[in-house]
Amino acid sequence: MPKCNISEAHAIDYVFGELEPSKMDDYKVHLMSCNKCIRMVNSYKRVLHLVDDAEGVYAHNLSMPRNLKTRLYRRVAAERAVEPAIHSNFFSQFSHLLSLVNKQKAAVFSLFIVAVIGVTFLLTDPFQYVPTYKENGTDSAHVKIQEYRHQEIQRNMEDALRNQHLRNSDKWDRVSQLNRVKDQAHGTDWANVAHQHLKSVHSEL
Amino acid sequence: MDKLIDDEILVKQFQSGSQRAFDELMKRYERKIFGYLLRSVRNYEDAEELTLEVFFKAYRALSSWEPKAKFSTWLYTIASNLSIDFHRSKNRQPVYVLEDEEVLETKLVAKDLSSNPEKQVEDMERGRIIREAVDELSSKQKEVFMLTRYEGLPIREVAETLGMAEGTVKIHLHRAMKKLQTLLRPLMENNEI
Repeated sequence: MPKCNISEAHAIDYVFGELEPSKMDDYKVHLMSCNKCIRMVNSYKRVLHLVDDAEGVYAHNLSMPRNLKTRLYRRVAAERAVEPAIHSNFFSQFSHLLSLVNKQKAAVFSLFIVAVIGVTFLLTDPFQYVPTYKENGTDSAHVKIQEYRHQEIQRNMEDALRNQHLRNSDKWDRVSQLNRVKDQAHGTDWANVAHQHLKSVHSEL
Repeated sequence: MDKLIDDEILVKQFQSGSQRAFDELMKRYERKIFGYLLRSVRNYEDAEELTLEVFFKAYRALSSWEPKAKFSTWLYTIASNLSIDFHRSKNRQPVYVLEDEEVLETKLVAKDLSSNPEKQVEDMERGRIIREAVDELSSKQKEVFMLTRYEGLPIREVAETLGMAEGTVKIHLHRAMKKLQTLLRPLMENNEI
């Protein structure tokens, strides 16, 4: 008798009736002469017989749950009671808003423009006081002060020199006047001018 | 309602607003789905809750359901997914509820007073061992085995239900059978059948 090469999988498919019809017939013929395959098939049939007994008894002797349908519909109703609330609060309001937009296009457009302007005002604050000129103003004031200071120094210096040359006034008065000018002109070129004149006055003393 | 009406026609009737069509579908499948889930989770209350969940999900989704596969396949797919989720979330071994076994024992004794109670206890013990062997299978092996053997689904429909190739389903089935053969060999050798 030739050695059988048919796999166990073939036997399992046969037991489950999953072999193709042509293969099923061939295998039936083969089983008549192959002890190895007969043993495999019988073994798997016994396995199924055991499991069928255990599982069959287990499932069929237990009663079905009661009121399954009632409980299902109660749950469905409970969910529906929640869903409409959500729909009315959101989807219904949204659809109502859309229909309103369609009916009152001009009013909605105006409202939209006003809203955009309002948002722009809120975000940018166009009337906000922006002291952009302050810095320049401060600078120009500072420059003006310096300008006035130089003019005053210059005036005082001219007075001092006029006294020196024209009036021929008291020299100590001129020294005093030039010292005031020198102090006043501290940090400027006028201070050097005053210093030079003071030196010349001191040389005359 | 006519029992010969196809499930898919009932679905269309339900989609058109017939509540009775869903009642009929539920009547056809509640026992099957409950049995399938009971074998899967091994606990009466959990199987009951899951069965309710299956039909609740089906009820909600049925209005937009399109018959790409058979209605029963779709229903078993929902049940199978819920069963997998259940095992994942609980992360526990199947639990045998003593209460169920006691109920079963009482029923068997009450049904046949002339039978041998000791034999029945032995049968129950054997049944427990066999179910434990079935629970030793991997989740996929068990799903495939249960759907094929107890729900009567052909390999093609099992493949659709579990989202696998037919070849993969067959491989799981072969492995399941070989494992059961190994686990149940002591019972078979002791001539307990």
